[in-house]
Parts: sequence; structure tokens; C-alpha cells
Amino acid sequence: MDAITDVFFDYISVRTFWRVLQFVHFTMAITLLALVTLQTAAVLMPVQQAAGNFITRVRAAPAAAYVKPIVILYIPTFLLGAWIYIKYRTYVRIPMEQFGHWWTVGTFEFKEHIVSMGMGLLPAYWYFWRQPLTEQHDTIRKWLVVFLAISVWYSFLVGHVANDFRGVGA
Amino acid sequence: MTQTLDVRQGVTQLNRSATKSAPTATPAEISKAGVFAITFGITFALMYTVLEQLNWPLFTYHPAVGKLDFWMQRPRSGEGPPMYWFGWLALSGIGSVVVSYIATLLPRLWLYRVTVFCCVLAALWPAFLAGGTFIADKVSFDAEFLKSIWLAGSLALVGAAAISYFASDQRVDRLWVNSLLIVPIGGLIVLGYSLKSYFLR
Repeated sequence: MDAITDVFFDYISVRTFWRVLQFVHFTMAITLLALVTLQTAAVLMPVQQAAGNFITRVRAAPAAAYVKPIVILYIPTFLLGAWIYIKYRTYVRIPMEQFGHWWTVGTFEFKEHIVSMGMGLLPAYWYFWRQPLTEQHDTIRKWLVVFLAISVWYSFLVGHVANDFRGVGA
Repeated sequence: MTQTLDVRQGVTQLNRSATKSAPTATPAEISKAGVFAITFGITFALMYTVLEQLNWPLFTYHPAVGKLDFWMQRPRSGEGPPMYWFGWLALSGIGSVVVSYIATLLPRLWLYRVTVFCCVLAALWPAFLAGGTFIADKVSFDAEFLKSIWLAGSLALVGAAAISYFASDQRVDRLWVNSLLIVPIGGLIVLGYSLKSYFLR
């Protein structure tokens, strides 16, 4: 891992490198957040026709259309987060512990668990959303969407709070 | 004849576009890819929780010095904090791939029952241990034997075997798919509880 980062450090400063990495992670997370939220709305409150206001149109979108982008985006967002986590462990968590921000440490620890569980569920999520969809697996399909949405929302909020304490590029 | 066929094709295409994401009512046989995906989801959650609780990572990474050690290494002076998360992920990932591949080779009913057995065992073992420890601490007489991990394990083994043997085929079938959510949520409850020291300081 150090060898990879050393290549970049020949061209940009260490601080800029981590800032760029975190910004890319943030951008991907925002996109993922939008996708899982839209899919959850389409799955939990479906409507037959796309007429009406913006919310109704969102709910009418075919939920299956979000699956591929979510799977494609979840994996690199997770991997990038795992990379940033290395810097977080020494550069952010140690001062966090020294200042006694235990709630932030604890909630961030839980984030690593929930995103890992989400990663483990991705193959099944992809499988259950393959065409043709079966009525038999409606419930599991719906709750997999909700689980992923919760994991992404939780991770986003907790990551944001941790970043408020000290960003890896600060 | 040609025209009829064309009309039919048109109707088929219309139907296909209109019902693209509408579920079909026919009970579907889960393919081998499905068995692999579902078993992977269940096994990964189970293994990740167990490995985290036992702290058995495949490797330990020391981010301050960029060093990688096989298995679990305690923090060493001058090397900063160790990271185990990557090691748990790697071991659960590899283990789950192996188990999921084996699952695709098993007869379906066997697979369902083995999965239910493993999940029930994973739930009962810590539950019996926690129950035994609670009782041993409360009663006035010497009941230290209730704190034995092996006694709890033996009881859990019997319970899991009985449940997976006597449960009906439909029930194990349903439970197998539902385990996909039950196991990760259960795992997160255990993992969340083990973090309580951060929230009670």
C-alpha cells in the first residue's frame, strides 16, 4: 500500500493526496446515497403511474433499474473507504481517543461492521433483483434494499461526523 | 401466418416492456448462482461476527509502519496500533467463497438443514452461555459449572440438531432465504453490543 501512495507523493503533497481520496470517496458515497434512497422509495411506496409531483414520480421509477449502479458503486466506495481507514486509524482515531470522543469512535467502529455486512449481501441482492423478478422473493428483495439503504445512510452520517472531528487530509 | 406472427411478436414486446420489473407469481427454482449468492451472504455475516468476536484475523496490519503480520499480533512498542478489520474481512471472504461453493454441490434439502443447523448453533451457543453465566451469578449455591463454554456448546449442539431435524421441509426452505437477513442483523446486534464500552464511558 505504501508503494502505491509513494508514487503519488512524487507529484502531490501527502495532505492533498488524502484530501483528493476523501473527496472522491465522498462523491461516490453521495451518489450511492441518492441511488439507495430512490430505490427504497420505489420499493416501499410504489405507485403505478408516474403522474403527479416529483416525489410521486420518484416512487414510480422501476426499482430494478437502480440495482446495477448500486452494486457497481458500492464496491469501489467500500474499497476506497477501506484505504482511507488506514489513515484514519493513526491520524484521526488516536487524537479522537485522546480527546475522549468515545461515541464517535464507537459509532465509527460500528460503521466498519455494517458496511462489511452490506458487502456480504451484495451478491444475494444482485441475484434477487435479476429479471424476471419472482413474487415468491418479494419480501426478501424489499428488505435487502432497506438493509443496504440503512448501511449506506449510517455510514455516510457517521463518516461525516468523524470528518468534522478531523479529516484525513486536514 | 406471417402477419399473425408479427402481431404476436408485437404483443409480446409490449408485454415485456410493460411488465419488465413486475414480479411473476410462479415459484422459482433457485439456480446454482443463487445458492452461491445466498450462502455467501449468510456465511459471510456469520463468519465475520464469529471471527471478530474471537479476534481471529487472517493477518494484522500495522498502519504506522506499513507492516503485515500473519494471524493476530498484539500491539508492539513503536509500531503503532494494529488493524484487524482487513484480516477478518479476508478470512470471512475466503471462508465464505469455499463454503458457498460446497453449498452448490449439496442436495437442496441438505443445504437448507445444514444452514439452519449452523445458524441455530451460532445463536444458541452464546445465548446458553450468557444464560448460564447469569444464573451462576444469581444463585446462592455453587453453580460455576454453568459458566462452562463446553456445557453451553453441548446444549446448543443438541438444540440445533433437534430443530434442524424436526423442522418441516417448507419451514427450512423459508428459513434458509430469511437467514440472509436474520444472520447479518443478529451479527450486528452482537457486534454492536460488544462496542458498548465506547458508549458507557
